[in-house]
Parts: sequence; structure tokens; C-alpha cells
Amino acid sequence: MSFMKKLAASVLAAAVSLTALAVTASADEPYTGYNYDWWGDPIPSQNGFVVDRVVDGSDLGLDQRDYSDQTSTMQEQMKNFAEPSDIFIDQKTGKIYIVDSKNNRLIITDENFSPDNTKIITELKYSSIFPESRSTVKNTKFKAPAGVYVRTNTDGYTLIYVADYDNNRVVAFNEDLEIDMEYVRPSSDVYDANVTFNPKKVIVDSAFNVYVIVPSITQGAVQFSADGMFNGYYGANRVEATAEVIAQQFWKLIYTRDQIIAMRRSVAISIANMDIDDEGFIYTVTENKTADTDILKKLNPAGTNIFINLGYSDYTYGDYATRYYKGNNYASAITDVDVDTQGNIYLLDFATGRVFQYTDECDLLFIFGTKGFKNSQGTQKGTFRSVSAVESYKGKVYVVDNIKNSITVFRQTEFGSIVQNAISLFNEGLYDEAKEPWEEVLRRDANYWLAYIGLGNAYLNQNDYATALDYFYRTSRAGYNRAFKSFRIEFIRANFTWMLIIVLVVILALIVLSYINKARKKKKAKGGSQ
Amino acid sequence: MRFDLDLPAWKWPFYVMRHPFEGYDDLRWKKGYNMKVAWVIVIAFFIISVASAQLTGFLFNDTYVKVFNIVPYFSSSIILFLTWVVGNWSLCTLFDGEGTMKNIFCVSAYALLPYLFSEVIVIIASNFLLRTEGGFITFFRYLGIVWSVVLMISAMKTVHQYSIPKTLVAMLFTIVAMVIILFLAVLLLTLFQQVFVFGYSVYTELMYRFSI
Repeated sequence: MSFMKKLAASVLAAAVSLTALAVTASADEPYTGYNYDWWGDPIPSQNGFVVDRVVDGSDLGLDQRDYSDQTSTMQEQMKNFAEPSDIFIDQKTGKIYIVDSKNNRLIITDENFSPDNTKIITELKYSSIFPESRSTVKNTKFKAPAGVYVRTNTDGYTLIYVADYDNNRVVAFNEDLEIDMEYVRPSSDVYDANVTFNPKKVIVDSAFNVYVIVPSITQGAVQFSADGMFNGYYGANRVEATAEVIAQQFWKLIYTRDQIIAMRRSVAISIANMDIDDEGFIYTVTENKTADTDILKKLNPAGTNIFINLGYSDYTYGDYATRYYKGNNYASAITDVDVDTQGNIYLLDFATGRVFQYTDECDLLFIFGTKGFKNSQGTQKGTFRSVSAVESYKGKVYVVDNIKNSITVFRQTEFGSIVQNAISLFNEGLYDEAKEPWEEVLRRDANYWLAYIGLGNAYLNQNDYATALDYFYRTSRAGYNRAFKSFRIEFIRANFTWMLIIVLVVILALIVLSYINKARKKKKAKGGSQ
Repeated sequence: MRFDLDLPAWKWPFYVMRHPFEGYDDLRWKKGYNMKVAWVIVIAFFIISVASAQLTGFLFNDTYVKVFNIVPYFSSSIILFLTWVVGNWSLCTLFDGEGTMKNIFCVSAYALLPYLFSEVIVIIASNFLLRTEGGFITFFRYLGIVWSVVLMISAMKTVHQYSIPKTLVAMLFTIVAMVIILFLAVLLLTLFQQVFVFGYSVYTELMYRFSI
């Protein structure tokens, strides 16, 4: 009897603990979505993205491959990613290119990460079209590659560009792995003789101009034309006007030449990463916890920043304020940027492991992902240890972690897709059609401020200025300003007669009053003299 | 100086506002100091500083009123003003100033008037103007401040019978005195709080002892 009791109790206990386990296992993402309200305070919001899957080397079948030609330590290491540092996804073919830095290889796979379609590239071939390149190209292997970019021209000819960090070059090769071009340290006088050429990231525009980020260069990205000519620098950051910089400007007026040379030079912070959108605009980010200038820039072909705070536009990127939590300061350090085909901008925050999604106008949409706590070390899905790259493809977001050695794939939630739908309708100019999804968004999350702006724009488009003003109040100054302008004109038009009458009456009253006053004073003066 | 002036008390602030240079001489000659009028202006100063935070149009309002707390507005208007008066009096009595506490209170309050007017204009205009027309707002704001500062210098000069340089130095040191007063006030408050906490803990300790 007692045995039966014990058995029943243990079964019950097991069942309870199992359900408890199940509850924790099915719990939500390790992060809570949040957004910022008008006051710049973080407010909880619905998640726009949740973890779809976490991919590591075994998913790609990397552990099944034969590495017998390698040393034993390398064999073990090559069974997984080792410090993957960059990812590129071809938006047309869905091919995924992963730079596996420490393993000195490039991995090409398809959008499902299927092992059958996975190719590992460790060695390139000399070009069959330009046999003379054998003498100029010194190395066919990668050494600590750090960045990858792929560009297909209109004829369908694809070139893969790899920033080959320790080989001091950017190498371009075609899909048959034949080296097409090598971009090396410029010998031009413009290029500082003391600076090394260790390319970290590379992008290529539609004219096949190559932009290379070299961490030691603060003048911007090194720009090459397609034939390997050094064109100069592109998109330099400005020097932030801190007190130190201003003080230096002052001392420069007084100091002698030698003293100025001995001074600590204030230079701009170098660009951390860049991306290029379909229209040819180049986006650069700066990874610095203290700088506020030029965190994200959208550069036109002339190199002018479009996202610049002029007048009353106020672009903010990453987390608004530095947060102090458990002995650590958390300030955003944006390490990568990605622009998807709809123009959404994704910023990857190295400090907090968060991805910030913005619209093409830099309105904050969603924040997702997080850094793992110290004891869990980012083992939980959706947490990171050290993020290195972000890329998006068909509404999914891919984040590379170079300590976890994995790629986390986020997919859009239903809420996220409603917001996305509303934004794309809005961007097409279908303001009225966008009203329905925006109202749905507000039903699900009444704090979602972008919905108020969307609805405000919809009402503004219907010339319902008063309602538009209500929606823009404490959500958008630019929108409020626009609505108020029309509202004011309409108001004056409707009440012009009354206003004119009031003004005329006031003027008339003033004239009469002053006349009466004068008469009284005259009388008084007369009385006084008598 | 006009000797034929015979104004009711409430008209004096407006008179000195319109005559920044000789207005205070007339005021002093005619003994136009009136505490009631001065207090009305100081309380209006407080009310307008609250209104400026609450009623300024959305396009020009940068104050954080998500959580509204009246205390900062009270201390940055009335308490600040009283500190100015006390600081100025304690400094200038030592340096041959002729003004009494009442005189200083009145003339300082009267000098605030242009600032208050400009704030009211700004609050009203900010509800009708667009961002691109914000220049008017800035203009009125600075006009009011500059006018009030000029009036304040004139007031201090007249009420203490100082020369201009001496007035400016006295005003500068009044600000220093204000800082010291506020510092001591905060110190005193914290001290009293600690004394209170000490007394209270002794009391609770005793209660525990006796309850056993």
C-alpha cells in the first residue's frame, strides 16, 4: 500500500515537474520587445521578431567532412564555425556566404542551410582568362578573411569579394573560384605610408567600385575602381566637437608649429561597417560607445550624409541612454548595418547583442535579441555572446555570433508582419489603405507610436487636419507641423470675416479711447491753469 | 526726474518697465514700494513658469511633463527669488547699500515684469506658430530676458545708490551668496533629517525595550 502511495506520489511529482519544465521550455523569447515613447523612455512592446532557428556547423554538415589533411587541432576546429565574422545573402538566389575567419575559409550554402548545397572554399584558382595574373597574385588561400560581398552584373556574371585581412588584400573571384582581381595597398601619395592595409569589410556598388574598410584608416573607406585603381577615401566621419577638441582649437592659435605637431591629434573614429542599398546609397556605422556623431550615415554617391540632424529632424540610433546595470555600463556600440529590399535598416549592437530595426526614414520599429547573462553564456536561443554581423533575407534576419560560433535566424511575428505591411502600403503612397493595418497594430499594442504617425498621415491625406493633429500629438513634431500648417490656413479661411471684424473694432476702440483721453487731459490742464 | 508723478501703487511696475533708466529714481523719490504688488508679481512668476511647462504649444514644448511635479517649479521661481532678495540684502548691507529688505524685494519683483510679459506672449504664440516661425518665439524670449536684466541692474543701482561697476560686482556676488545660502539650506535640511532619524530610532529602541 505504502509502495503504491509512494509510486503515485512520485508519478504525480514527475508529472508536475514535467509540466513545469514544459512551461519554462515553451516560454517566450529571452528578450522582451520594447520601443521608445515620446519622452525617450523605454516602454514594453510586442516582439516583432522571434528566433526561428540557430544554425551551427553540424547543421551545414561541416562535422561530416574530411579534414585529414589538416593538423589535429584544426581538424577539431573545422568541424564547426570558428569566429565567423561576416555573412552575405544574395537577395536573388538566396545563396548565403559565411566568412569562417579562424578556419580561413568561405562557406557558401543555400537559404535552408542544407548540407548538400554547402560548399567550402579554402583555395582559389588562377584565372584562365588572364594567365598573367599568376605572377601578380601572390596567394590563392585566405588568411583570416573578415568580410564578404557578392555583386552580379546585368549579364549574370557574379563576382565574390573577400576582405582577406591577414593577406592585406581584397580578392575578387567568380563562381568558378577563378581570381578576377586583387585590390591591394595603394601606392599612391595620398595613402599614408605608415598605415597598414588590413581590410576588414568590403562592399561593391553597381559600377563595381570597391569600398574597403581598413580599421587603421580614419579618413573613410578606401575606394577602388573596378580595375583596382585607388580613387581616394569615401564617407569620412566628422570629429565630434567635444570640449577637448574645442580646447585644442584654442591652443592651436597660440602654440608654435612644433608644439602643434607634438599635440595629441583629434581624429575621427573610423567606420566600423557598411552596406549598400538597391538605389546605391551607402550606409556606414561607427562602433563607439562615447561618440554621438555619425553613428549611422546614409551617404549619397557624392559622399554627403542624408541622415544628418538639421533643423528639427532628430535621428537617434541604438539605445537612447547609457544604462548602468549590475556593475556594467551598457551603451550601444553599433557594429553592423544591413538594409533590406524594402529599405528597412537593421543595426546590430555589439554591447547589448540587440538588433534595432528601423524604417527607411529611421523610425524605430523593433528591438530584438539580447546578450546572454554571465552564467548562461548565451546558450539560450536568441541570446548572444559576441555578435559580429547581421543580414536580412525575405523578412528573416540572420545574426552571426563569433564566440557562440553560430548563426541565429529570426523570423517575423504576425505583429511584425502587420507593421511591415502598413509601412510598405504607406511607402507606396496608399495612405488610406494603410489605415486598416495601423488600426490593427494599435489594437494589439496601443503604445506602438509609429502607428499613430501612420494614422496621422492617413487623416492628413484625407484633409482631416484636426484628427491628424490628435494622432501626431506627442508622436511626431514634423507631422504635427505639417498638419498644423494646413489646419491653421483652413481655420483662418473659415473665420476670416470674424477676425477682421474683431481687429477693426479693437482699432476703432483704441482710436476713440485715445481721443477721449486727450480731451480729458486738455480739460484738466485748462482747469489747472485757472 | 519727474516730481509731478502721482501713480497708484499697481501702476509703478508698469511705469518702471517703460522707463528703465530714470523709472527707479522716480520710484525711490515717490516711495512707490508696495509689498502687495510685489507679491502678486512673484506669485505670477511662479504661475507663469508652471504655465510655460504645461501650456506651451506642442511644437515648442520640450519640458518633461509625463510626470508633473510642482516642487521644481516652485523652487526655481519663488524660492529662487527669495534667495536673491536675501542674498542681495545680506551682501549690500555690508557694502554701503541703502536698500532695505522690503525695498530690494519690491524693486526686484518689479524688474521681473518684462520677462513675465514675454513668457505670456511666447506661451500664446507657441500655440499658433509653426516650427519655421520659431524665430519670433526666440526673439520674444530673449527680449524679455534682456529687458528684465537691464531693469534689474537699474533697480539695484538705484535702490543701493551704487555706481554701475559696483552694481555689477554686487550682483555677481549676490549670485555667489545665493549659491552659499542654498548650499547651507540643503546642508541644514539633511542635518535635521539625520537628527530626526536618530531621535526616531532612539524612540523605537526604547519602545522595544519597554514592550518586553
